Amino acid sequence: MNAWNTFAAELRKTATLPAAWSGVAVALLGSAAITLLNAISIRAALAAGRPETRAFTSPFEAAFAAMPLGTIGAVVIGVTIFSSEYTANSTDAGGGRQITTALAASPRRVGLLAAKAATIVVFVAVIAAVTLPVSAGIARAVIGEAGTETVTLGEAVTRCLGGTLYWTLTGLIAFAITVLARSGIIPLIVLIVNSSLVSFSLLLTKLTPLAHWLPDMAGRRLFDGLSTVEGGLDAVPGALVMGGWTLGLLIVATVVFRRRDA
Amino acid sequence: MLLFDQLVKRRGARTVLDHVGFEARPGRVTAFLGPNGAGKSSTLRILLGLDRADGGSALVGGSPYRSLRDPLRTVGSILDGSGAHRSRTARAHLAWVARSNGIPRRRVGEVLEQVGLADAGGVRVGRYSLGMGQRLGLAAALLGEPEALVLDEPVNGLDPDGIRWIRGLLRRHADAGGTVLLSSHLMGEVAGLADDLVVIAGGRIVKTGTLAEVTAGFGGLEDAFFALTGGGDGAGR
Repeated sequence: MNAWNTFAAELRKTATLPAAWSGVAVALLGSAAITLLNAISIRAALAAGRPETRAFTSPFEAAFAAMPLGTIGAVVIGVTIFSSEYTANSTDAGGGRQITTALAASPRRVGLLAAKAATIVVFVAVIAAVTLPVSAGIARAVIGEAGTETVTLGEAVTRCLGGTLYWTLTGLIAFAITVLARSGIIPLIVLIVNSSLVSFSLLLTKLTPLAHWLPDMAGRRLFDGLSTVEGGLDAVPGALVMGGWTLGLLIVATVVFRRRDA
Repeated sequence: MLLFDQLVKRRGARTVLDHVGFEARPGRVTAFLGPNGAGKSSTLRILLGLDRADGGSALVGGSPYRSLRDPLRTVGSILDGSGAHRSRTARAHLAWVARSNGIPRRRVGEVLEQVGLADAGGVRVGRYSLGMGQRLGLAAALLGEPEALVLDEPVNGLDPDGIRWIRGLLRRHADAGGTVLLSSHLMGEVAGLADDLVVIAGGRIVKTGTLAEVTAGFGGLEDAFFALTGGGDGAGR
């Protein structure tokens, strides 16, 4: 009952946090926008009779290519769900932070972190359940029958579930790092840059094959079909490695959070 | 109700609390007095499970705060102003706090009314003044109809009207059998309100007793305070 109350409070808290909704917006609207651009350019190539200029003409692939936006959304949610606890009010308003209220209300710290982690999982799952069908629908509507759907429904579902798992694990890793950092700014910048502009892990694989065991590299085969570099772990062992990183980081974060003064 | 026993807290090489012990009893308003930096907030933070003690214990009705089930129904507290995120409305803030301790939703409207924020319930906390933030903090403290109130510098930022109002509220809470522990570095605030005084300076309790006992032999509470805490030269820093 107690754990349920803490979880229900965290759900409500996140649902009333504008920063968390910006994560939802990035995932949903960002994916929809990228899908739309992809689909329009595919339709143009098809209309010009030059489908060979595109890597694919499948509506599903056009939608799935926007998956990295969901990763960014998951990072934003994972970071802000914890960093918001430490956001100071303006000095005019006393400069207090919400963490004192959160811990006074839920003094069992392991339970509080577990409730937050569960909230991240719920949010990411809901985002995926909305974003992926919406994006696929947009791609299908724009490209229409002209494109060739090369992906069966079964494959599409498997890949969507894989992508959702990747988002979820990324969100939890971002959360664990933020617990350790106690501030959202650096985790947010590093993780967003890493999953959008420049992948540091990807660069590291040029130096050492060990970098394939870093969480984001290990899990990337979950986005089956999006792979840009050869080598590295297959989907299932990769997912296990990424899951191991997630669990390990969550455990470290919990141990530190339990011992630390708020 | 609230019992502090031999509390020790160190930060690095510095001893912030040096065997702090006292009690706040039901039916009484206990004022915890000391200059800034004397250890008042550290003591209260340990009581509420926010910080860890290096020795000793702080108990609520015989149990550590962390082991209380739905703690807001036993102890209401204010530590850091409103304790609310600035981008939420007061109502949304109180709603999650209530949910976390299984407190009925109707209490949100009731406490907003009680602290005089009924009209500002839909305003984002970031737009609140210091006084409004304090009132919101108090609303959260009252939410679970707790037996004990633990308030760190509760009159900070309140206008004279607000100070008068909070005094009345705390008095009534104690008269109804509740326990009130409030910290302050301002004598005037507590002289007319407190039944028991606990004076801390430099991390040590220097005097405890009723108002009459503590002020005996001095011209008044202010004289007693400065004599006990070593004057106004920032003792305890």
